[in-house]
Amino acid sequence: MKRTLFAVFGLFLISLITGCGYNSMQANEEAVIAAWGNVESTYQRRNDLIPNLVEVVKGYAKHESDTLKAVTDARARVGSMQLNKDLINDPAAINKFQQNQGELSSALSRLMVVAENYPDLKANQNFLDLQKQLEGTENRINVARERYNKAVQVFNTSIRTFPNSLTNSILLHLKRKEPFKAEEGAKVAPKVKF
Amino acid sequence: MRFLYLKLLITLLLSLLVVQSAFTLEAPPLKGRVNDYASMLSPAAARSIEAKLAAFEQETSNQVVLLTINSLEGDTIEAFAIRVGEAWKIGQKDKGNGVLLILAKKERKIRIEVGTGLQGALPDITAGQIIRNVIAPSLRAGDSDKGISSGISAIIDATKGEFKAPAVAGKAAKNKKSNKYGTFIALLVVGTIITAMAASSSRTAGIMAGGVSLPAAAGIGLGAVLWKLGILAILGGAAGFVLYLLMKLFNASGRGGGGSGWGGPTIFYGGGGGGSSSGGDSFSGGGGDFDGGGSSDDW
Repeated sequence: MKRTLFAVFGLFLISLITGCGYNSMQANEEAVIAAWGNVESTYQRRNDLIPNLVEVVKGYAKHESDTLKAVTDARARVGSMQLNKDLINDPAAINKFQQNQGELSSALSRLMVVAENYPDLKANQNFLDLQKQLEGTENRINVARERYNKAVQVFNTSIRTFPNSLTNSILLHLKRKEPFKAEEGAKVAPKVKF
Repeated sequence: MRFLYLKLLITLLLSLLVVQSAFTLEAPPLKGRVNDYASMLSPAAARSIEAKLAAFEQETSNQVVLLTINSLEGDTIEAFAIRVGEAWKIGQKDKGNGVLLILAKKERKIRIEVGTGLQGALPDITAGQIIRNVIAPSLRAGDSDKGISSGISAIIDATKGEFKAPAVAGKAAKNKKSNKYGTFIALLVVGTIITAMAASSSRTAGIMAGGVSLPAAAGIGLGAVLWKLGILAILGGAAGFVLYLLMKLFNASGRGGGGSGWGGPTIFYGGGGGGSSSGGDSFSGGGGDFDGGGSSDDW
């Protein structure tokens, strides 16, 4: 009889471990890390496009050196950021990342508005292709950001709900992750100078 | 009272089957390879495109799907397209080789949404060129049959060499795997019913049946591969047993066995997914994924 009781108790213990969220919370964190990897690589993809774009625009719109410089500077700021694995655990670093990328977004959108004034540039096949690539990349960035936010939401919920919260505070000590806020830089209409 | 528990159990099992339905409010139901909700195609053109795409999937396993809608209702075509991609899961699961051609009639927008596996063969630039040089001119001229079918042909030409359809053996193995799940679930349900029936006749019989039938069902149904689910089912049996002991404490008249529903829930999550189409009448996405790549333009 004693042995049966032990067996039942053992099974009960196993069910406790699978039910405490120890594994699922870590799986959720890995999902956040993977989603962040996609965010970074889509932004990197945009960074890689910029030199070509600037080169093509330069050939047709020499007088827009201010706009071009703004793009190059913003890109340099993005490039100088230190990106390491701990970034997603640091809300301040995430905000900084978002701010720099937002500035680059608005500098780029100003450049595309300026380009509208140059019919020769707009007819250039090279420019059209780059424009398509940039559009596709911006769209990928949106999708990656949205998916990152979803993964963060799942993770944050999983570490806050019972009994996972208990497991986390005792064993895992995982920190809440910061989602992206709605992009302000991209929504700001480019200023028109007279 | 006895039947009340049985009823509860059955309701629980049934409700678990219904749970998995995501919010696909915006993406219309997938009708086939041609989803002409805006009636932009003549019946003959729709049939020939459908046949062409079916043959293309047979040959390469690439899934190309057309969707026309009347209006975007204020949404952007990019956001709509990714939702459709996520809902329909066009393309094979491990290849991501799906392409969506979406047209919004009122807004005069075209989008080619390219699955992650085909972005090498059909990059954004090529997708943009297909829209700009092939589809849009015909649509502007009012010939949507020609615009759409030549656009589909251009997509097929671009993505032709990327993948080959797997040999038939691969597909048979896939089916076998899903059958295993089926057997397991069936055995689980049978085990549950037997347990409940045995419990209603005698207490000890209930315990015996509950203890033996569920792990047995798990073992037979799953084999060594899906041992994880088997453990869960055994845990379910144990939970049922504990539940029975508790009930016995509270209620002297007692009823046996029962439980087992606890092992059940986890199984149904595994059952989803999979299931690619192999031509014929029914068509469904194979689990492909999209990352927002592709191109869009006006006509």
